[in-house]
Amino acid sequence: MTTATQIAEKLDALPESSAVALKIRGEQYFDVIRGILDIFAKKKEMDSIYVTATIPCQSIMNALQVLEIDTERIWFVDCISQIMMSVGEKHPHAIYVESPTMLENLMLKVEYLIRRAEGKKKLVILDNINSLAIHNNIKILSEFLHILVNNLRSKNTYTIIFSMEEYETDEMTNMLNLVCDESMTLEGG
Amino acid sequence: MLGRDARDRRERCKTGIEGLDNILNGGVPRGNTVLVTGSVGTGKTSLCLEFLVHGSNSNEPGLYVSVTEPCDKLLKNIIPYDFFDESLITDGKLHFIDLPIVYERLGLEKAEFDFEEVAILISAIASIVHELGIKRLVIDSITSVCYRLKSQENIRDFILKLGSVLSEMGCTSFLVSEISPAEERYSLYGVEEAIADGVIVTGNLERRGDLLRTLQVVKMRGTMHSRAKYVLDLTTVGVLLVPLLKGGSVAGGG
Ligand SMILES: Nc1ncnc2c1ncn2[C@@H]1O[C@H](COP(=O)(O)OP(=O)(O)OP(=O)(O)O)[C@@H](O)[C@H]1O
Ligand SMILES: [Mg+2]
Repeated sequence: MTTATQIAEKLDALPESSAVALKIRGEQYFDVIRGILDIFAKKKEMDSIYVTATIPCQSIMNALQVLEIDTERIWFVDCISQIMMSVGEKHPHAIYVESPTMLENLMLKVEYLIRRAEGKKKLVILDNINSLAIHNNIKILSEFLHILVNNLRSKNTYTIIFSMEEYETDEMTNMLNLVCDESMTLEGG
Repeated sequence: MLGRDARDRRERCKTGIEGLDNILNGGVPRGNTVLVTGSVGTGKTSLCLEFLVHGSNSNEPGLYVSVTEPCDKLLKNIIPYDFFDESLITDGKLHFIDLPIVYERLGLEKAEFDFEEVAILISAIASIVHELGIKRLVIDSITSVCYRLKSQENIRDFILKLGSVLSEMGCTSFLVSEISPAEERYSLYGVEEAIADGVIVTGNLERRGDLLRTLQVVKMRGTMHSRAKYVLDLTTVGVLLVPLLKGGSVAGGG
């Protein structure tokens, strides 16, 4: 079984609107994205809201195109382009947050995207917790996750929080365990 | 215990702004006069307009009384809400009136109103509300009206009487008040906030170089409510609110 089908099947086995902490290694990154966006979200006919605090959304979008993943139902909240001064041309599927320290604005933009297409089932990806931890202290980050996850749960939305295994500290593990229903790792590369 | 139950049973006027209704435990107690106050450009007008539009969408006709800015200019700049249709206006569910025109019709041309003229103004507003069956009223801004009232007694009298007349008709009102950010009180004359049934404050908050728009319900008679600060976003789906993160003891939280 490939990494992509593995993650899709694991997610499929979870109760609706679960919050998942997904521990991944760098080399699994694109397979994971394919599994979530191209297999799981597609099968469930969900819109995906992709929050990036790591790579500018334009780069992710380019990668998705190379992977031939349909981006019609994928929306981005990009918290990194502006501080990296790499917004360039604004993508119609992207909303930009000034910086990854604006956690409230991040939540507001996610809320906006959910509201704008109310009624449709949705999935939110947070990529990733380690980058957010560079810009925010752990206290404010836990408060943020708590509010975000509870809010999304109340709106019947899946939440998938990426954590890069190499960079996950014990503090982060505890925090993720506290807010998420499920913690997942994947076998193989 | 009885007191609390009774209070929570007061009928609510759901603002339709989900975040605000949650803060207010279901909405503004019907008939309340609420001061919406904050420094320039913090979203007071947008918040009030949205309150009216949601009302007129759910069979509660609304009236916007503009004092500072002509209504047609205001309507040109309105946020293109998904839930706002011009037909609300043409169907008579949402009304806009320029107060200077009302002054003119009433012959209130003086720069300063006395007791009697205050009474004339109140009864004029009351009869419009009555005739049009208005359930939600906005006056934007009350500060400009207060300029003409000069004395604290007159302002007190105006808000008190207006509030009670409107309340009797089951009309819930938002009165916009302008203050500078440095001000310690919530209104220019300091009396408005004491008389109003509720005070909603909008503002700007700087945190480690980031500027956030905030909203806080400081007071609301007739309901329990959160007094925490929220971060606000003005969007085409309306005002969105999330709690201001405190993050333990992060400096500069203001
Ligand atoms: N049509 C619009 N589209 C997008 N954003 C808007 C629109 N209208 C207003 N805004 C945003 O809302 C902000 C403030 O709006 P608003 O007029 O509601 O504030 P206010 O507190 O009433 O201001 P004032 O003190 O000037 O009366 C504007 O500065 C702008 O950022
Ligand atoms: Mg205004």
